[in-house]
Amino acid sequence: MRYFVGIDIGSTAIKISVADENKNLIGHKISASGSMFYKYAQEALAELLKELSIDESEVVYTVATGYGRKLFKEADENISEITANAIGAQQAAKSYGNIKTIINIGGQDSKAISLDAEGNVVNFAMNDRCAAGTGKFLDVVAMNLEIGVDELSDYHFKSVGTPLSISSTCAVFAESEIIGLLGNNHSVEDIVSGVHYSIAKRIVKLVKRVGVKENVYFDGGPALNDGLVNAIENELGHKIFVPEYPQITTSYGAAVLACDAFMCNMQSEEGK
Amino acid sequence: MHTEHTIETSAERQNRHKAMEAISVLNALREDFKSPIQSMGYFYDLFEKVYCHHHPLHEGKAKIGTMCIQIPSEIIYALDAVPIRLCNGFYTDDEIGGDLLPQKSCPLVKATVGWFASDNFSDKPDITFSPTTCDQKTKAGAIIESFGHTVIDVGFPRTKESEESRHYWRESVKSFAVKLSKFQGKKLTRSNLESAIKKVGYAQSLYHKLTEFRKNKAVPILGVDMFLVTNAFFFDKIDEWISAVEKLVSELEQRASDSINVAGKASPRIVYTGSPPIFPNYKIPLIIEQSDAIIVADETCSSNRMFNDMVAVDEWNLYDMIDSVSDKYLKACTCPIFTQNDDRIRRIIQLVRSYSGDGVIYQAFAGCQVYEMEQRSVLAAMEREGIPILYIESDYSPSQHGQLTTRVEAFIESLKNRKRMKK
Repeated sequence: MRYFVGIDIGSTAIKISVADENKNLIGHKISASGSMFYKYAQEALAELLKELSIDESEVVYTVATGYGRKLFKEADENISEITANAIGAQQAAKSYGNIKTIINIGGQDSKAISLDAEGNVVNFAMNDRCAAGTGKFLDVVAMNLEIGVDELSDYHFKSVGTPLSISSTCAVFAESEIIGLLGNNHSVEDIVSGVHYSIAKRIVKLVKRVGVKENVYFDGGPALNDGLVNAIENELGHKIFVPEYPQITTSYGAAVLACDAFMCNMQSEEGK
Repeated sequence: MHTEHTIETSAERQNRHKAMEAISVLNALREDFKSPIQSMGYFYDLFEKVYCHHHPLHEGKAKIGTMCIQIPSEIIYALDAVPIRLCNGFYTDDEIGGDLLPQKSCPLVKATVGWFASDNFSDKPDITFSPTTCDQKTKAGAIIESFGHTVIDVGFPRTKESEESRHYWRESVKSFAVKLSKFQGKKLTRSNLESAIKKVGYAQSLYHKLTEFRKNKAVPILGVDMFLVTNAFFFDKIDEWISAVEKLVSELEQRASDSINVAGKASPRIVYTGSPPIFPNYKIPLIIEQSDAIIVADETCSSNRMFNDMVAVDEWNLYDMIDSVSDKYLKACTCPIFTQNDDRIRRIIQLVRSYSGDGVIYQAFAGCQVYEMEQRSVLAAMEREGIPILYIESDYSPSQHGQLTTRVEAFIESLKNRKRMKK
């Protein structure tokens, strides 16, 4: 059998996807980027292949993407996370419908990508400056509220009052705002939903810059947070599609691209 | 896997956005200052009820929308209807209106137009009267009418010195009274107008009592709280407003005799003028009072200009009363739309003197041309009088908060220094 690997080395996590010749996702792995991207990526890949009982020789093409993509020297090819994200989203949402807009919230950035009918990237926008309103921001919020990141969603849906706006989505300034709100005995639920809406408003503004066309696909780790999904849907005014594994879309896209690249190379060899 | 949740309608989203804006200001008023006033609770709850929970206040009553203060509320009350002043302070609505008006328009006008464009009211006016005051409001009336709402223009002159203007405006008010009386199927009579004039006059007298306390060395009430009280008059039931303010007056009497000071020992006393702060756009007043200054008086149409001058009736006959009502809205008005506006300058100086003001803060909404233009003459006059003044241009967006705070703080610190030097 021939297998194709996509490795997405992000600021927070390393995501690896393995696809077969039909571009189906066979397996994936998510591990922390830590301090040594390259070493951890190699280890994670070896572990994943072992889990899937795939021999290294069966991996015929590897594509790396993400911030750390250039560090992964074994890769046959490098592509930007924008392209990989677009390809991965199209493939992951195949049974759902044609994806025209992608929202991606990562550990330290957020993006909006608009695609044409063929799935090509037409336009994209990224957050400027800092980690405002990204996964890191949610980590800081959860830490201040002394709850787990995975609990944020439950708190969001339990909020009965008006969501309390956090005027600053800067992780540093928001911290003092949240402490102020807690000090005045506001409920954690209303603070959490306020935080989600602040992020949602910000991301929707970003999406509007590239134009919102349905279907909208939402990925990245924070897409696991249903409360945030709900807030973005409300701000957009329509449904968004969240894939089964929102963290790995980009690495899956890289794997799909690996498959395409391999097939293409083979055809041109045969043509000779 | 992601579970399905119902998605808000655009009206629900707008309501949530407005609720989020409202609650953050109300929380600041409730929590950020020392010695809170108990009877302010009525007003905090009122705004929360109306803008966070979108509760209608006037079900079953005829609601008359007014686009400016110049539409006489005395006549509306006399004809058994409720005036709803449509000047809007919500950034949410400003953004909606922004898609329909030129980019550089006044945020207040954009917000009012956005409100009608979304047609999402807890107390929707049945009909709206639009005085032809500034250009943008005049044109906004026609845009609002294009949404299918009835808007009736009330001609308003741009000069107030001449006899022709006075005559024109008196005729305008008469014609307004005729139209409203037809709409209501009710006659304007000597007795219903007299009692309405007296009721509004009584509300004004309560306002005067409130402002008297602000002359004290120890100021018992914040400027932002005062703005909230006068703002409530835009839409509240007048009788309930009156009884809430009566309670506030007696609480302030007590606080005054106990020398309770909501400001600090060295807090500069500010006279506020310019484009009207309308809930929840209390951005600049909040910055001022969170930066250790206290607003002791204002010259704005959402507060002082609305209450300061009383209707002066010579003869309690119907037509004499209508003329007296008309005169109050023209002669006493210090709106910058007028050609000559020395009255406004005199009013600001008089406020600084009688409230022992240390400085003036003049805010103009970016896009509010007349206030932007008039800053020149006001700044020159203040310089002549030796009154420090800070001119700020801002809009409804929450984005410039940091920069604005720095400017205001620097001005306040300079006033503190001046005070110290004098001693």
